[in-house]
Order: sequence, then structure tokens, then C-alpha cells
Amino acid sequence: MVPPPSAPGSPADRRVAELLRELGPQLRLGGLPAEALARCPTGIPELDRLLGGGFPRGRLTEIAGPGSCGRTSLALALLSQATRAGEVVAVADGADAFDPASAQAAGVVLERVLWMRARQPREALRGAERLLEARGFAVVLLDLGAPGPRVAAASWLRLAQAAAATSTALVVLSLARAAGAAAELALELAPLRACFTGTPALLEAFDTEIALVRRRAGPAARAVSVRLRGQPAA
Amino acid sequence: MRVACCLVPDLPLAAQLRAEPELAGLPLVLASGTGPRAEIIGVSPEAARRGVRRRGSVAHARTLCSELRVRALSPALEQTARDALLDAALGCAPRAMLAPRASGAYAAEAAVLLDASGVTPLFRSEAGFAAALAARAGALGLPGCVAIASSRCVAHLAARRLAGAAGEVCVLPPGSESAWLAPLPIDLLGPDDALAETLSGLGVRTLRDLLRLPRRALGARLGPPVLRLVALARGEEPDLPLPVPEPSSLFEAIDLEFAVERLEALGFLLQGLLSRLLARLEARRLACGELGLVLSLEGGGRDARRIGLAAPTLDLRVLVRLVCASLEARPPSAAVVAAALETEGRPLALDQLDLFRPAGPAPAALGRTLAELAALSGRERVGAPEVADDHRPDAFGLTPFLPSNRGCASRVEDQAHVLAVRALRPPVAAEVRTQHGRPEWIRSAVASGRVVQIAGPWRTTGGWWSREQRFAYDYFDVQTSDGSLARLRFDHLERRWQIDGVYD
Repeated sequence: MVPPPSAPGSPADRRVAELLRELGPQLRLGGLPAEALARCPTGIPELDRLLGGGFPRGRLTEIAGPGSCGRTSLALALLSQATRAGEVVAVADGADAFDPASAQAAGVVLERVLWMRARQPREALRGAERLLEARGFAVVLLDLGAPGPRVAAASWLRLAQAAAATSTALVVLSLARAAGAAAELALELAPLRACFTGTPALLEAFDTEIALVRRRAGPAARAVSVRLRGQPAA
Repeated sequence: MRVACCLVPDLPLAAQLRAEPELAGLPLVLASGTGPRAEIIGVSPEAARRGVRRRGSVAHARTLCSELRVRALSPALEQTARDALLDAALGCAPRAMLAPRASGAYAAEAAVLLDASGVTPLFRSEAGFAAALAARAGALGLPGCVAIASSRCVAHLAARRLAGAAGEVCVLPPGSESAWLAPLPIDLLGPDDALAETLSGLGVRTLRDLLRLPRRALGARLGPPVLRLVALARGEEPDLPLPVPEPSSLFEAIDLEFAVERLEALGFLLQGLLSRLLARLEARRLACGELGLVLSLEGGGRDARRIGLAAPTLDLRVLVRLVCASLEARPPSAAVVAAALETEGRPLALDQLDLFRPAGPAPAALGRTLAELAALSGRERVGAPEVADDHRPDAFGLTPFLPSNRGCASRVEDQAHVLAVRALRPPVAAEVRTQHGRPEWIRSAVASGRVVQIAGPWRTTGGWWSREQRFAYDYFDVQTSDGSLARLRFDHLERRWQIDGVYD
């Protein structure tokens, strides 16, 4: 039996201590220690620091943001790190938007990517479930496209549970947050600036702000700024 | 040489029970059809105890036994059961062959002969080998008896002698065959009806009686068939070495008495076929490779399909899911009246893990997943992406997903993070207002507004040798006032603006 915590100075803390005394000794302040999750790093130092080492394996992570915000680039950085480390990844592409040339430029080993070109986002959702069941994929990227379909909360919970049974990092790309409480982490991206430089002008770089808006265990609402290099001209 | 013979006395009945194990212990008859006038060809012991006999009609049998189950004789089931018997033998010895089909009273039997030389160290004794063979046949749904002797014909006769006692074994030590054969009834040699009647008239009841008669005189009066019987009775049948069978595909089939329309019911039936196929593969220590499924449809149609596997497997659940996924993706065009499954046995693939590489999906699970994804989106839309050898910026390809170690760095190096393109397939049409040939305003579904920053154009042309393949584009990277960063192109051949990708 754990005694209730001693009342510190603030009125709120005193009120909490009172409530705990009233509710009985079964309740206590605090929770289970945070589980140490294996991580899939992105290779972007600022982002990996923000996420505590990378995207958590066995969990659902959302990356949301408007068009041209850098979410696809972030996802490709994740795939690049995983495939170059010898792991196998999968893309359930509900928008048919995966660009192999971009992925190769980002360093993704294409041989180790299983690409499912779904005809519609719902197909991609079902495909992601199948991919999670296969186990052994380091990352399953679910791209819901724009605009994403309305997905029932139960479906997100099912996906999150399927991911929890594996060591796969499930990453969902969408225009706006959709997975809600099923997500372990949620990132929202906002474009800062695109740098066209030189003569003739070239798309040299793109800056984006990545905000960690949800973290199930621990504080959120932190943001970092990341610079992405423009691709060589077509 | 020592030869073992595994014999199933009533193969049609055993084949039916193998396909429908729930009928075991019930009064069952096999008939030439399902109508009341159909002739009864096979009778289970339970039905025989109620007075049902062969060659009677189904209607008469029903009057004797109200709970009688009637099934039409299925040549397909019989053939697959015969093959399964050979599989059981090949699981015990590499040299085996099916005995030629007998006639007369033994027409319903099926026997397999296999080389039993030198089996003692493996099975402790010949009796142990015989018991293992009987158990293996029983596991495939073919309860039989096994006899071991020094020649094929004696082993076959000894097994016939045991018929009716499934699982029984008999081992005749070398040199004891003649003494053992002598008191056996002459019917055991399976003479045709006319010869049996003649021999009976001569007072020949046993093999000993036959051997007492002068061989030359018998031959002169009754012809070559009686000489063959004499050779069999003496155990003098020439024994050639047993062959090693050619590798062949395994086949399981079923003829349905009613047409099946619902996929769920069809999946249930195919599950039975698959389980029997897997049992045979397991008996031969093989695994299931690519599956061929042939459905005979009502009205005479035929639906044939191949179901690929990434790796050989013996997992029934996986195979059922793959078959069901294939049927859901492309349902048969009519009700199904017969189904057949075929596969070539493959050695079971073992997962070889790499010390320095993370383990990916297990081959069997990957095969199942690939098949399920293909069923969802189409086989041509699932695979590993590749950059096509083409000058078009939007060109790409898909190859079969076979992850390998190639291209994997042993150490992940730092790399600059590039801005990726989200492809738009097909490209989105754009209305563009230009000034001096450069876009100034854009209106489209993905990017609209004033062009605030621009790079380009970069001209790319190719495919000039073919009307269908030629292209000529001017590409621009543009940022519009709504914040979109798009890859805009002007198609010189079609004289139109398009956005084929968005930087994201």
C-alpha cells in the first residue's frame, strides 16, 4: 500500500492530496514508468532529438501538414535510414504519390521497399494492416493522400494495436491529424520558406518547422526547424 | 531384395472417407449415381452389417437401412487416393511403385510396393518399418495393411491375406515363403472367373493343391493364365528392381454433388483439399510451391488460375487465405461443380538469418502478404519501386519484391536531406497566365495564385522515334502565393500546362 503524497505548498497540490485521501489508498499520484521503446532514427539530428531518438517502433506516429510542408521528405529520410541499415520497409500508398526518383535521391535503397500502389486510401489502410501482420518490416508508411478519407476511430485503434504487436514503426502521412488518441506521437509541419537562389534561379533549399503536438508519455508542444536541400534540376 | 507391400482393400471407400472423414462409422455406400436405381459398388462395414450388399440398387438398400449415406463413385477421388498411397510409400523409401490394377474380386484394392532392403538400422526391425508405413498411410486417410517378403508377388499375396485388418503387419522371413504360401486358398491369386471354376472342378483349393499338379500338363490344358498362377504360387515371379519415381506434381480433386455458388462455402471445400494436399506433401517431406487451382463451372466453363507463393510453405492457414484472397479478387463466373488443386512439391525453405543484418519478414509471411496486397490492388501495383531508365522525370517501374543485401551500406552515413516530390498520377491540368513565356499566374487543383518564385525552364525531350512515346516538356519549379511548391510543365506536343508533382 502506497501512502498518499505529502501536501506541498500550492493550493492545487493540497487539493489533489485531499482528493487522494478521500478516494482511498488504492489511488496514488503518478503512473507507470515510461516504457523504453526502440526507435527508428530519421538521420535529421534536430528531429531525432525532438523525438527522443527517432520514430518509436511498435507505435503509430502521425505526420500532418498542408501541401508543400515537407512531410514526404521527412518520411523519405526515415525510409532512407532504415533501408541503408539493411532493414525492409513498406509503403501503403493511398495517394499513389511515392516518387522513386525522389526516394533514391534521399538515399532510400529501393530494393528494400515494398510499394503498394493502392487505388484508394481505404485500400491502403487495409494494406497497412496486412503489412503489419507480416511482421519484420522496420517501417510501414501509410500515405492517406490529400484529402484523407474519414477513418473510424476504431480503425486507428486496430492499426495501433496491430503495430503494438510488432517492432514496426507505423507512420501515417495526412493533411490533418486523424488518428487522435491512437497515435503515440503526432507531428505537425508548417512551411517556413523556399529559397530560390542563383542565376539562373534554382530551388536551393526549403525550411520547415516541425512541431511535436502530441506525445503520449511526456511533454509535447516543442518545435524544431529543419532545412531540406532542393533536388537537382529535372 | 526385400519388398514391402502396403495394401488398401477397398480404395473407393477409403478415398471417400478420406475426403469426408465425418462419414467414418456411418453406413455408407458408393453407387454408380445418386438416383434410386443406381447400382451399389462399394459398401462400408456398417452398411454391410445392416444387410446392404454390392450390385443391389440404392432404393433397395434404403429399405434395409434408413440412415444410409449414399455417395456417387468419384474417379477423381480414387485417383488422388491412389497417388496419396504412393506418397506414403515414398515417405518411407525412395524406390516405390503402385501395383498394377487387379481385376475380379480384387478390383477395388490398391497396393503399393516399395523396396524394404536395409531398413533394419533405421526402423530397428522390418516389423518396425512395416508399422511405420502403415501408420503413414493411415495418417493420409488410407488405412491399410503391410506385408514384407522376398518378392513382390509374395509380399502382395501376404498383404491380401491380411486385408480387412487395417494396420496389421506381416513379415515373412527369407526362405519361409513357400511354406507360408502352400496352405493359402487359390482365390488369393485372383484367377479370372472361368479359370477359378475350372480349378475348383479339379479339386484345387489351395496353392499346395495347385503345385501338386504337373505344370506342363496344366499349361497344355488351361493355357498361359494357369502357368502364371503356378509361378505366383511358387514365388517365381521375376522381380525387377523397383523404380525411383519421376518427380511429379501433386494433385487433389473433388467432384461436388451440388453446384457451389458462395465463396465462403467454396473456401471451406478448398480448405479440405488443401489439408489433404499438405498431408501428402508432409509425408514426402516437401512443402507447397505455386498452387494451380482449376474450377469446373456450371454450364461447362472452366476457371484456371495460378496462386504464387514467395516461399514454399506447409501452413494451411496461409494457403487458405491466399486461395480465398484470389477468389475474392476474381470470383468464378458461375457456380462451381468440381475443383482441383495442383502443386509441385518443393523443399521447405529455412530462414537463414544474417549476423549483420536485421531480420525481415519470414518468407512464408511475406508470400502471404504479397498475395493479399496483390488481391487488394492488383498484382501489377505491388512490388519494389525502381527508377526507370528514361528521361521523363515522372518515369518509374515496379519489380518483384525480393529484398536482398545488395545496396545496403554496412554503416549508415550522414546524408543531406533532400526535398521530396509527391508525384501526381495522372498530372493535374493547370491554367497558366504567362509573361514573356514564363508562368505568372496559376490556377489548378493543387497550386493556385500568383507565382512568387520560379526556377526554370528545363527542357526535356525524347522518344522522338515513336509517335506514342515522344515527349517534349519545359519544366519549372514554382512557388505560388498560396504557399504551394509545384513542379509545373508545359507540354509542347499537346500545347498544355500540367503539374506532375508537388514538392513536399
